[in-house]
Amino acid sequence: MTKLRNVWVVASSKSAVLELCNGARQFGDTLTLLTWNKENALCADKAYYFGCETRYIDCLQRITELALTARPALILVELSRNGRLAAAHLAVAFSTSVLTDISEMWLDGERIVSRRMVYGGAAYQTIAAQPTAIACIGAGVFEPAQASACAVAEELIAGKLAGVQFVESQPRQVQSVNLSAAKKVVGVGRGIGSAEKLSLIHDFAAAIGAEIACSRPVAEEERWLPRERYIGVSGVMLKPDVYIAVGISGQIQHMVGVNSAGTIVAVNKDKMAPIFSNCDYGIIGDLNKVLPALIDKLHSH
Amino acid sequence: MKIVVCYKNVPEEQQIELRDDRTLDLSAAQWKIGQYDLNAIEFGATLAEQVGDSELIALSAAGAVLNNVKQRKNVLSRGTTRLIGVQDDALDTADCYAVACVLAKAIEKIGDVDVILFGEGSGDIYAQQTGLMTGLLLGWTTLNCIQAIEKTTEGLRLTRSLEDGNEILEVTLPVALSVTSDGNRPRIPQMKDILAAGRKPVEIWSLADLGVEAVSATETISILAPEQTARKCNILEGESSENIDLLFRQLKSMV
Repeated sequence: MTKLRNVWVVASSKSAVLELCNGARQFGDTLTLLTWNKENALCADKAYYFGCETRYIDCLQRITELALTARPALILVELSRNGRLAAAHLAVAFSTSVLTDISEMWLDGERIVSRRMVYGGAAYQTIAAQPTAIACIGAGVFEPAQASACAVAEELIAGKLAGVQFVESQPRQVQSVNLSAAKKVVGVGRGIGSAEKLSLIHDFAAAIGAEIACSRPVAEEERWLPRERYIGVSGVMLKPDVYIAVGISGQIQHMVGVNSAGTIVAVNKDKMAPIFSNCDYGIIGDLNKVLPALIDKLHSH
Repeated sequence: MKIVVCYKNVPEEQQIELRDDRTLDLSAAQWKIGQYDLNAIEFGATLAEQVGDSELIALSAAGAVLNNVKQRKNVLSRGTTRLIGVQDDALDTADCYAVACVLAKAIEKIGDVDVILFGEGSGDIYAQQTGLMTGLLLGWTTLNCIQAIEKTTEGLRLTRSLEDGNEILEVTLPVALSVTSDGNRPRIPQMKDILAAGRKPVEIWSLADLGVEAVSATETISILAPEQTARKCNILEGESSENIDLLFRQLKSMV
């Protein structure tokens, strides 16, 4: 397969550097990495890096200038909140649209073709771009490369983003959850009614040895669980052996995150809930009666 | 303060049907305002109310749906002052770059805009790019993930929400902001708002009015539903002890 003449990767985390550089090697003859922190200058033929204390938004102008000079055929950008902003800067500089949240990518001559979900997960869009193409790629799309130092690494000095004054940082405790590894998952939706019901959910999940996840509204609107636990088209995508949906209506945006589960079980008191056409086993009933009864049986057997 | 909030009407995805060839049939799907745009409209309405003596203009670039009276009232009943639509059928399938170029021209034509607001992404395509590209094409300070907005003497104070925490930033105007979906709760229009909506001004512009064309940089080759895993759909009705016992035995065999 003919490769593209020059591919760039823009990534700040080590895991993204290793994965995107591995992916980039499939597509390009030469690979340049733009990253933060000298320790992350890995795998590429050449790396540029900003100091680790540099604020991401202050680096965007320099990144765009360098990319415009080099004019790579393809730029892979880490899919993070800052990465999306960087991708937009690059897309405007190159007069193109970003191929974002893509699950697959391949070459068709000089064209870069990709696949992503649309309509909340109801469909896949296949979309093609000409060089210089910009793609925003999430974790897990490519396997990580073996870490190896770059032959050439050059430090960059960032500017300062005009019109923006940084006041302060408010770090948050990131819940480290590895839902992707869980074989059994209990998902909770707004149907559980209140945050107090989580103790019942915890007891149930513990009784079957499952991890706990949720729908987007539970994390973002109700804030009963942290955002790291929400499953769906813009959250975590899972492939557990068993997924038990409690108080979840079964909207497409959520179900697309668990459609690959081995078996789906639903507990919901609304018989019209879409989840009942998307599960293997289900019970139309009140979770406040069903779950305690199941917990009792699980404990006594 | 002159605030513009951009929004997109999208089909209700739960009502999308599939044809035999796995293409999507949207004809039975009701229109709605994209869910994430509602948060942006709410931020705009709140900011306009806070600052006082302000207008909140709703702006959308689309095809025939701009003629839909129910959808016009939908957006005009949420704290907006007036609606401007840029109308052309090509806009319904144009990519982010094309739409951003059109929106940027529209904002220039509106003139003297202080703040442009966008939702996190459109309800249907959800690329999360069009808003950012519009601000950058205008050469304005452009930021995403904005969870809180407050007026200051110099401009705005913003909370930008990232994966590992928040950044508090102060920005001067003009500014283009893409807001998060967890920063506010969109108001529910009351009957009086819906009635008043019918009397608010609506202007429709053509691409020629803006001197721009909708030219996509990328090409959509296909939009197809995935192969679906057929599910058993063994549903028990009611919490009888027999049903719970049956469910328990099903569960026991899996866990």
